[in-house]
Amino acid sequence: MHEISLVQAMLQQLSDLAAANRATKVIKITMKIGQQSGVVADSFRFGFEVLSANDDLVRGAELAIISSPATFRCTQCDHTVTAMDRPDCCPKCQETFLIPEGGDELILQQVEME
Amino acid sequence: MCDTCGCPSPSDHDHHTHAPTKTVDVHTSLLAANDALAKLNREHFEAMGAVAINLISSPGSGKTTLLEHTIEQLKGSIRIGVIEGDIETERDADRIRAKGVPVIQLTTGGACHLDAAMTHKGLHLLEKQPGGDAIDLLFIENVGNLVCPATFDLGEHKRVVLVSVPEGPDKPAKYPKAFTSSNVFLITKTDLLPYFDFPVPEAKAEALHLNPKLTVMDFSSKTGAGFEVWLQYLRDLVKEAKARQA
Repeated sequence: MHEISLVQAMLQQLSDLAAANRATKVIKITMKIGQQSGVVADSFRFGFEVLSANDDLVRGAELAIISSPATFRCTQCDHTVTAMDRPDCCPKCQETFLIPEGGDELILQQVEME
Repeated sequence: MCDTCGCPSPSDHDHHTHAPTKTVDVHTSLLAANDALAKLNREHFEAMGAVAINLISSPGSGKTTLLEHTIEQLKGSIRIGVIEGDIETERDADRIRAKGVPVIQLTTGGACHLDAAMTHKGLHLLEKQPGGDAIDLLFIENVGNLVCPATFDLGEHKRVVLVSVPEGPDKPAKYPKAFTSSNVFLITKTDLLPYFDFPVPEAKAEALHLNPKLTVMDFSSKTGAGFEVWLQYLRDLVKEAKARQA
């Protein structure tokens, strides 16, 4: 459950952001979570529900999670596939060794507050 | 009567309208604070002249045993230091201390992984130990867990993931992040191969399928079979780091 630590990091960023914008209430949070990030969206949401309940700034806010794909590069022909799930092999040359690129982001993208 | 809300009081009162909302585009990583501190750690290790290795595996894969045997073999030629991470107890640090190298135990008090801030604290504590400020090779033994530690950069130069023979060969497929984020994959306890169904070539192929850049080794710390390859890998790392410094 490292998702709890990550939710704590998000709450810290929200607190800084609210102070900078003189806001007292967060309404909506948009997070981008990559396919290769090692973070389970449901666990992240659960951690958010638990921790935001004790946080006046964030309590009741909507959490939107956008899942982002990774790109897989073929080690043989250099062909790339962008997908949510790792392909079994390169669709062009059937090589099975593919290197993942990107898709490991955990980005606080947008915050709506008042 | 108020024309706006229809209440019986005069119209010059607060209608409890909401403050205007503001939408801010942020685009910062949740790991930004951790990664900034990890970068500082890396610079700190380099200023010390040390190569740092982050060891990741499930509990019981042989991380501490690997360290005990590595220290025994290299102690004469390479100055080693260890930061131990566990949820509770000083037991691992006691085992390492018995080998005569500087060691510090971090107890996370429940957290399932080390992060850059904990590592930073550990590094400062280690430097206060006798010999802790003169280290060529620093091992950071993460909390036993094949999932959560994979997300957090500690500032290490190399990440090493271990799987022991009794755990089975399917770990790379089941816990991909630990393998895609690592530099080295160690298959440990190979002295137990006669008793378990663990096809080494398949396990290696599975890990390389996820991350073709992995360096893969298999050995038994107990019997020493194959261990020299690991020791040579470490000697080369230290030598390269010293050459970069010179």
